Amino acid sequence: MADRPPYPDSDGDTRTPRWVKVFAIIALVLVLLVVIMMFIGDGDHGPGRHRRFGGQTPPSSVMAHGVQQP
Amino acid sequence: MIMTPGIRKFALTAHIISTIGWLGAVVVFLALAGVGLTSQDDQTARGVYLVMEPAAWLVLVPLAFASLLTGLMSSLAAPWGLFRHYWVLFKLLISVFATVVLLLYMETFGFMADVAADPSADLGMVRNASPALHAALALVLLLVATVLGVYKPRGMTPYGRRNQDKQGTVSPASAQPLG
Repeated sequence: MADRPPYPDSDGDTRTPRWVKVFAIIALVLVLLVVIMMFIGDGDHGPGRHRRFGGQTPPSSVMAHGVQQP
Repeated sequence: MIMTPGIRKFALTAHIISTIGWLGAVVVFLALAGVGLTSQDDQTARGVYLVMEPAAWLVLVPLAFASLLTGLMSSLAAPWGLFRHYWVLFKLLISVFATVVLLLYMETFGFMADVAADPSADLGMVRNASPALHAALALVLLLVATVLGVYKPRGMTPYGRRNQDKQGTVSPASAQPLG
């Protein structure tokens, strides 16, 4: 799938590569977004988070499953 | 971890197959989500949301776990290690994150199937943009993981550098590529 590893770093550079910093920031933002979404959805990343009934009344079978009204 | 080259190659092959299979399955879910949102046919739109939950349990979840486990096996068996190189670490984090979100999302699939199965729910209630959003994000994550696996960008973790100082350099001849 790929060539041989170029490692170990032959130039002895011990600094963290820029791409790692960029990825770390993106990962942090992504995790924070998920955490915030879970808080908004009452700690739930499930149905309560994703219901989209708006002002409408959800079907009776859905109510039977314990989904709360907004 | 001591593994024969044959087992190592088998683990790597299984990892590539499961990861690319997972990616392909996500593309199919993205297509299904698009059909669910746009189809004018009531039965087709409902059918999409009904089929998503069992399809996810039968395809997405097994492939996600297969990708994660075979990735762990491959990285531990190869000189790359699991925590020595940033690209391996990021691949691991992406796999764990995507698998956890998928498992959390299974409840949502069940909820959407319940709504779709209810004849009293109109099509506006059945349609849901959430699967499309989640499938698109999963696709981006898995594409990033694939690119990392192929390009293997340079960069050793502090743990990897310490390990390297202790053990000397990794012999390129003994190193096996990791997908």
